[in-house]
Amino acid sequence: MSNQWLNDMRNKMEDHAEDIPDGLWDDIKAELFKETDKKIVVPVNDLKAQSKNLPKNNIKTLWYRIAGVAATIAVFFIGGRELLQQYYKKEVSQPIVNTVKKQEEKYSNTEVDNIVGKERLYKNYAKKSLIISNKNAVSNIASLHTFNKNSNTFKIYVSENQSTASLIKQYENVIKDALIVENQSDTKVNEVEELFSKEKKLNEDPKLAKKDSKTWMLSMLTGNASKNSVEQFPGYATLNGATMSISDEIWTAGYEDNPLMDILLANQDQQIDAKIRHKVPVTFGLSVYRNLDKNKKWGIGAGINYTKLATELQSGSDSYFIKSDQTIHYLGIPVQINYNVINKGRFTGYVTAGGLVEKAIAGNIKTKYIVNNEIKEETTENINKKPLQLSVNSALGVQFKVIEKIGIYAEPGIGYHFKDNSSFSTIYNDKPLNFNLKFGIRLLID
Amino acid sequence: MELNKEQILTNRLLSKEETAWKELFEAYSGNLTSVCSRYIIEKEDVHDVLQNSFIKMFRSIESFECRGDGSLRAWMTRIVVNESLKYIKQNTDFKLSLSESDIPDIVDEEEPNLEEIPQSKIMKMIRALPDGYRTVFNLYVFEEKSHKEIAGILGIAENSSASQFHRAKAMLVQKIKEYKMSKTAQL
Repeated sequence: MSNQWLNDMRNKMEDHAEDIPDGLWDDIKAELFKETDKKIVVPVNDLKAQSKNLPKNNIKTLWYRIAGVAATIAVFFIGGRELLQQYYKKEVSQPIVNTVKKQEEKYSNTEVDNIVGKERLYKNYAKKSLIISNKNAVSNIASLHTFNKNSNTFKIYVSENQSTASLIKQYENVIKDALIVENQSDTKVNEVEELFSKEKKLNEDPKLAKKDSKTWMLSMLTGNASKNSVEQFPGYATLNGATMSISDEIWTAGYEDNPLMDILLANQDQQIDAKIRHKVPVTFGLSVYRNLDKNKKWGIGAGINYTKLATELQSGSDSYFIKSDQTIHYLGIPVQINYNVINKGRFTGYVTAGGLVEKAIAGNIKTKYIVNNEIKEETTENINKKPLQLSVNSALGVQFKVIEKIGIYAEPGIGYHFKDNSSFSTIYNDKPLNFNLKFGIRLLID
Repeated sequence: MELNKEQILTNRLLSKEETAWKELFEAYSGNLTSVCSRYIIEKEDVHDVLQNSFIKMFRSIESFECRGDGSLRAWMTRIVVNESLKYIKQNTDFKLSLSESDIPDIVDEEEPNLEEIPQSKIMKMIRALPDGYRTVFNLYVFEEKSHKEIAGILGIAENSSASQFHRAKAMLVQKIKEYKMSKTAQL
């Protein structure tokens, strides 16, 4: 039996139309409309204006927002007060606040779960929402920060919310919608938790914040000192060097609603490039140094140093892409021989050569999925394989003697790194011969 | 070069113009409902899947590239099929329904003639197939996927896809035969 009749069937059915489900267009319209309205930029500090700006037919969205704010307030009274006080002590940097604001909008649906649960109207889903409301507490606290400056406006909304028992019925209507979001909420909550913990760290640990800014300054400096290594090739890629294989099947094979799918979908007809950018390795060191001869020309040094390797990977198009940031921290023991060329007062100029054994002590890959310029999902993966890295180096150095026995040095140099058999893409693996910059403190012993 | 109708519509869709989207909906939703209904039986589910599909189209229209007439429909169909499969995967025990094997194989028969059978009857017959068979059958016949591709999509073995397809085909042949017999009886 041939399959010709099946081709006939395909052709015959090609123009077949079925009755369109009732109200489909209305639902689509409502959904897409709501979406467009969300794009209206509303100042964070003016909740009242926000409600005025919303068109009347979009009253549902407004309730989402109010419910979100109400949920936020509820959490505020339960556990947020302390955090808020901390927040006042040290302002969190602006980008985080912005992200949190975005998150808040996204989560307003799930926050509806929360508030409805609190009003005991959520009987059918009580069990589920309990778990979620616990998790949401975190996102609520996070979103609270956004609103900290308008506590007055808050109060207005509190009273409004409390007096409007009639709204309860409207809440019921949104439960259904909110439930849809539930499935996705877990991962997103994690994301907020992560964000929030970052924020908290910044708040609680000024030392850390200081350290961060220092690192940043130094990387800036090294960025100028030498070129970053950029590699580009067509297609999507992962940081372990493999090119992601994406076949046509993914169209129909992707069952989960994941951001990767969205990105692939959006970029389906475009030329895609993956770009790997290695940042110049920056090394901080502490070392002891001993002169070998009487002229103080030759010396030997050993110590301990720390290197941070950062690699950025971006695949996709301009507004739909996957961005991975890989950071690996190494601790190493360097041994080097110096030959002092110039000795002028407190300054010493020298050439140095040596070997270095480094071990990766920690590392992670943060992956962000950016869909239509918005961060849709963020995952962090720790690097568990921690290889030993051997290298030989040569550099020109300048040392400045701060006090009699202690000097600070800077050494721009060149290094060759032997393969460490790890699958991760680092500058050490991709460009074994590379430029680096070392800073440190040297203790002189005679 | 003169822009064809589809390209003009696409440009308007890109600007997220509501009337354009309404036009798109009116022009294609009947056919897309048909595509979706091949995979999904419950009317409410068809509604949900189509709604999600249109939202997906709205969000990813930037990535659509018009390659002549019919490419818009092909793109939309792909999204609907993808969403339908996603729904099936989430909501039915797919592998279980695939492993049913109580349908006897039908030995070679003459090729059925579809000419006199109305579209709606064929639709009904397809929709009467068990979930697993229907999905494989639809992908093979309407989406023109190979068994290898279907196996990848559904996470089943290649020969399983082939045998499900074979049984689905046999069931349809049987149904067509029954239909024709009832037609003849009526005359």
